[in-house]
Amino acid sequence: MKKMRNKIITLVLALGLAIFVSCEKDTPRYLPYEGYSFTELNENGGDWTPVLEDSGASITVDAPDATDSQAYQDELADMKQAMANMTSEQKKAVKYWTNNPAIRWNEIALELIAKYNLIPGPNADGTYTLPNPANPEGPPAFPFAHPPYACRALAYMSVAQFDGLITAWHYKYEYNRAAPYQLDEDIDYAYEENDIPSYPSDGAVIARASRKILTAMFPLEAEYLQKLEEENLESLLLSGGYVTSDIDAGLVIGDAVSATGLARAANDGMKNAQTPKAVSDSIKQAAYDRFGWAWDNLEIPVRPVGLTPLFGKVTMWSIADVESVRPIAPPQLDSQEFLDDVQLLKDYARNMTDEHRRIANFWQDGLGTYTPPGHWNRIANEIIVEHQLNPLQTTRTLAYMNMAIMDSGISCWDAKYYYHYPRPIQMIENFETIAGTPNFPSYTSGHSVFSAAASEVLAYIFPDEAAKVRGWAEEAAISRVYGGIHWSFDAFVGTDQGREVAQYTIDRAKADGADN
Amino acid sequence: MTFPKHFRYRCPKHKKKVVPTFCAFILALVGICLPNLLSGQTPSDALMMRSKNVCVLFSYDMGTFDRYWEGSYLRSNQTVATVDRNTIMPMAAIGILDDLNFYISLPYVSTESSEPNGGKFTGARGFQDIGFAVKYRAIQTALGSGKLTALATAGFSTPFTNYLSDYRPYSIGSGAPEFSLRGIGQYQWNNGFYVRAALAHLWRGYTEAERDYYYNNGSYYTAWMDIPNAWTYEGILGKWFFNTSLKLELSYFSLNSTSGDDIRAYNAAQPTNKVESDRIGLSAQYFFKSIKGLGIVAYHNRVVDGRNTPKLSNTGFGITYQFNVIKKQTDEKDAQ
Repeated sequence: MKKMRNKIITLVLALGLAIFVSCEKDTPRYLPYEGYSFTELNENGGDWTPVLEDSGASITVDAPDATDSQAYQDELADMKQAMANMTSEQKKAVKYWTNNPAIRWNEIALELIAKYNLIPGPNADGTYTLPNPANPEGPPAFPFAHPPYACRALAYMSVAQFDGLITAWHYKYEYNRAAPYQLDEDIDYAYEENDIPSYPSDGAVIARASRKILTAMFPLEAEYLQKLEEENLESLLLSGGYVTSDIDAGLVIGDAVSATGLARAANDGMKNAQTPKAVSDSIKQAAYDRFGWAWDNLEIPVRPVGLTPLFGKVTMWSIADVESVRPIAPPQLDSQEFLDDVQLLKDYARNMTDEHRRIANFWQDGLGTYTPPGHWNRIANEIIVEHQLNPLQTTRTLAYMNMAIMDSGISCWDAKYYYHYPRPIQMIENFETIAGTPNFPSYTSGHSVFSAAASEVLAYIFPDEAAKVRGWAEEAAISRVYGGIHWSFDAFVGTDQGREVAQYTIDRAKADGADN
Repeated sequence: MTFPKHFRYRCPKHKKKVVPTFCAFILALVGICLPNLLSGQTPSDALMMRSKNVCVLFSYDMGTFDRYWEGSYLRSNQTVATVDRNTIMPMAAIGILDDLNFYISLPYVSTESSEPNGGKFTGARGFQDIGFAVKYRAIQTALGSGKLTALATAGFSTPFTNYLSDYRPYSIGSGAPEFSLRGIGQYQWNNGFYVRAALAHLWRGYTEAERDYYYNNGSYYTAWMDIPNAWTYEGILGKWFFNTSLKLELSYFSLNSTSGDDIRAYNAAQPTNKVESDRIGLSAQYFFKSIKGLGIVAYHNRVVDGRNTPKLSNTGFGITYQFNVIKKQTDEKDAQ
């Protein structure tokens, strides 16, 4: 009897522990790629047309010391000594940053977006306090990294990176100073070797430009970003790919392109996007006078102003007049098309399937996450690594994608506040949703517009992925209808809108010299 | 009054009868099998059911909260208003050996917000986690003017349906497998008073979200969320009344996650949160003399302090029934 008891107990304990030990999961904190060999070098990349700079030559970078100079030989010796004394932490850092750190800085931006994508809650008296860049600590902390804020931060960072690398490529092939590991056989380069000249360091351009843009966008993270930049720069040296003067020349470029980008950002209209209540009310009244409807915030307590009513007035990257891409008006509230959609949403809500729920949640990218623009950057990062793009091609992809995403967001917000169309929970009595209804009008769907724009640029850069990414964009669009927070025409028209808007940026990309 | 010692302990007044008080163990199930649910409903007890006996419980639990701790800040939030969480709980316990009992349970949970609320989220409902546990009585000995008992339980629970755990505060459970080990010690005086303490460790697995990115003090590029392990502590003061017809208990229960993140400002909770909760409770169990094997139970619990957890109050009612699966009366003497 006793024996049997012991056996049972042993069995139960062993089973339980076995289940838990075998269930350890890998929970990656960043894209698990390491340095890789680039499929192309783009020797003529310095001739491509930048986005904000006039040309790859418009930032001055002085000629470097010759590789047979004493100055260079001293730098080389310093670098070798540093490499010989690497700590395990430094080795880990070299592995982490890889030979394409633009992806890492993109991930850092996504992480900060997720960290700051928190909507301010009400005060005890029912009022709301908005984040204030003049007092970033808050509470609430600045910024609230909502989708318009996120897409703008990503666009400025990616554009500065791209312009910076066109400049770097220009001087790399003008001065042709080879990589340390090509000059000295004793140097064991940390990544796959290639023939791209090392002066100026492309990684240093990326580190400096990214750090400066992100510090402006996330001022409370200045110290954190400074540390990351230092680690990235140190890893460039310790990789065996760049001596100090290569890195310093990259920093000159990074400083210049980030200054250009931030100068544009300071005057792009974003600072007026979150309006006072009086302006917000007049926008709402104008829509009501024009169409006979208006969107209401249904939160308790009511938020007095929707999210960034004037984001639609922010300067676009590739389109002069936002109204030129404004979609047609949504259905009248007494039209059959509208009534059919009410029925559709009720049916979806009543018959929620596992598949609809999964899609609604997968693409939700709501508060506390990296937002839909962030999701598409994550997708782009994965495809870039898979296709082994070099840093210049990487930043070209991210720059055009994020320009298109931001332009599409501006166009979407123009439509949202011009039409001021009500959300399903406002129009359908006792309607409940599985997704959170955002604080802005319904038509058109931001997810649909952002996703369509992002997928079009990715389809242009990666034709073999076109069907896949377009399918994902359509799924992201319909996910909002499954979630119960958008009408189907918000999603369908929004998808067309995103595709149309993206075409302007794609046309620009086709003419930048890379496509020849 | 000199009965065999195991016998004296179990049914001091009703010798040679399988008294329904054995069903008193049943509340322990909630604590043993379902720590995910309401952070452990009631404490595990020190009673054992005899071999070949089966006890079934059917209970209804009404939980509600209108505030929750966001980190250590107690917040009310009109987006979710008052959240109700109702649970139907069928359970069964089987006496395999006199010193070894087996438990199985499968709760059905439904959640919803009160009207009006600012979020218009739909609630959730469904079968939660199927739970299994075994309880082993290691020590039972007379000591002073009473009896000392020591027991150990091992429990395992795992989601029974594909409910979404990443849907706080409406999700019906943590969505992860859990393995628990619990040690229980009790001292009962001959006058019917008893004190009991229990310590348990909960090993929780991962839950799968329907998104493949989340923030937990940094980025996570995966749908898997690590549910923090936890320690629980329990202390109980109880007494038997009316010839062991009525049992009253006062309880204190504490759960402390060993890791995890805080709910961020005005943001939804998520399964990775570090949960701490202190709860007090009162329970009563009555066993009918007229209908052999039948009992009723009622309880009320309140979370009085916590971190990243609802300030939940819950009240429950249940019915228990115990019967001997082998028709012939168990021979008490053979049991040992």
